[in-house]
Amino acid sequence: MRAEELKGHLDALLLAALEGGPRHGYAVMEALREATGGRLDLPTGTIYPALHRLADAGLIAGSWSVVAGRRRRVYQLTVAGRRALAGKRAAWRDFAATIGAALEGGPCPDPA
Amino acid sequence: MSGSGLIEGYRAAVAAQLPASVADELADGLAETYHSYLEKGLGADAAARAAVAEFGEPAVVVAAFTRASPARRAARRLLLTGPLIGACWGAVLVTGHAWTWPVPLVARVLAGVSLAAVIALLAATVRISHYRPARRAATAACAGLAAWDLAAVAVTMVLIRHTPWPALLAVPASASRIAFTARAIRSVLAP
Repeated sequence: MRAEELKGHLDALLLAALEGGPRHGYAVMEALREATGGRLDLPTGTIYPALHRLADAGLIAGSWSVVAGRRRRVYQLTVAGRRALAGKRAAWRDFAATIGAALEGGPCPDPA
Repeated sequence: MSGSGLIEGYRAAVAAQLPASVADELADGLAETYHSYLEKGLGADAAARAAVAEFGEPAVVVAAFTRASPARRAARRLLLTGPLIGACWGAVLVTGHAWTWPVPLVARVLAGVSLAAVIALLAATVRISHYRPARRAATAACAGLAAWDLAAVAVTMVLIRHTPWPALLAVPASASRIAFTARAIRSVLAP
């Protein structure tokens, strides 16, 4: 799955990857790979600007530590981030059910 | 190029273009990526090549940071709100018969040219894919816009005898924009 196919969903994926606890950038990418069975094909370097964007929006918070002599920034979900993740999950379920119904002829979900 | 040279070259390439804290974070991520390939059994050179390939070209990473940068966000917001504030000031000029104000021609021309320059800098900020030039352009644009707003408010409050009613909208709008640009400059220049 390529970056352009993830457009609009990357934020939700990153928030979900941080739901289990604080992670640094590479660990976030590893968590995403593990969760998707290695089907994500994103340049790892492009995860970091997305994390910065989420931090600027107050959805995650970053803190610095030193590991093996290297400065490391670790991110964790904020309260607003957990709320945003819940909203994005609900929106995704609705979207997937609606498109699934249209493509496969199943029942359309109740709009309420 | 050897594996360590490849990693060092990558680190130097991003460090030359991004703030130090971002470069440190990327260096840590690249080192983690490299070590993960070593753990998978690759030799040092192959692990370095794989890590750099997985991370993405420095230009791609820098461009992604530039798109998400405070400079780009501030420029977009100022470009979006600019026409509204500009319309408020336009109404001030028209209803206040600006052509009768005791403002020298040189100052009028300077106001127009500086505003055009600020708009050009903001437009450049949202198009530039290099982080540092975008940061410089956004900083200059924010400073220029704050100066323009200050001058406009000062002229309206001090030089004009009968302040036209649209100034009740234009002056607070400019004051808000001055506060925003001050915050934006701090955010854009954060190390």
